Amino acid sequence: MGLRETAERDLGRILENRDEWGWDITLTDPSGTSAPLVGLSYDISQSVDPDTGQLITGRFAHVVLRVSSILLAGLAIPENVADSSQKPWLVAFNDIQGTPYTFKVSHASPDRTLGSVSCTLEGYAP
Amino acid sequence: MTIPALIDKFDTAEIVRDQVASILANEIASQKALATLAAKNPADWDVKVYTERANPWANNSPTANVWWDGSTLDPKGSNHVEHQVYLATFNVDCYGFGQSSNVVTGGHVPGDEHAAKEAQRVARLVRNILQAAEYTYLNLRAVVSGRTITTIRNMQPQQDANPSQHVAAARLTLEVKLIEASPQVAQETLDALGVTIKRASDGQVLAQADYTT
Repeated sequence: MGLRETAERDLGRILENRDEWGWDITLTDPSGTSAPLVGLSYDISQSVDPDTGQLITGRFAHVVLRVSSILLAGLAIPENVADSSQKPWLVAFNDIQGTPYTFKVSHASPDRTLGSVSCTLEGYAP
Repeated sequence: MTIPALIDKFDTAEIVRDQVASILANEIASQKALATLAAKNPADWDVKVYTERANPWANNSPTANVWWDGSTLDPKGSNHVEHQVYLATFNVDCYGFGQSSNVVTGGHVPGDEHAAKEAQRVARLVRNILQAAEYTYLNLRAVVSGRTITTIRNMQPQQDANPSQHVAAARLTLEVKLIEASPQVAQETLDALGVTIKRASDGQVLAQADYTT
């Protein structure tokens, strides 16, 4: 097994280990098909500058998932859906207090070299 | 020698700034009441109005922030002693917040588009209110000789920040011609002098002065 395959396999230990930083994440595709996954999730505070010189207290949410696990679950690699006539890719996970949140995938960066996909999220009202 | 009187008044620019915010707040409340009477959703006319805010916003309500950018002297209407005419610039920053949401009948509402259109909705309300005929002089006729919204600019959101919450802003620049007064030297009577102006039969102008003793 080459180093790249080894690195891809290591993603399972890095991203999907619930005893470490792995977190339960539900991924839903535009057709409504969902899959429970484990990955890294972030939901932190961030200041937004709308270019008026005034800052907005905002939020930055992000997940990193293993592509092979997504494909094994029967889903495709998530991506942004700009067409408003379609449903977007959705990501749902709880915060550390157990409060559930649902997000829309606003930007996806798949790493096809090592087999992970990093998704930037935006708030979504289901 | 110092100015003998306490300077205990607002400058006209400050009064105008607060008046602009007051006009917006009152008219928005009125618009919401009119919307209710017209069986429309008053939330579509809702805007929260602030002045001179610099702390980061944390609410998701459509918002307008009125702030005084500065004033430039208009030499034509001014004198060096008593009053000066300024062209004061006020910015009304209109914020719209958007969140993507599901559409039950199909598709979804994109949050970035929602935020941009919300900001433009706020700007539309502000422009219509401040340019209304009722407010040609902002109800300050004695010190305001005119007002105009000279620029409307839609801000471009940052592309690299990728926030979870979409915020868009539009800035309306309002220029107001106003008068600023300043402390004057109190008059001191040096002497009382009465002068009678007469014209002689040959046309010569004569002055007869009476001096008090």
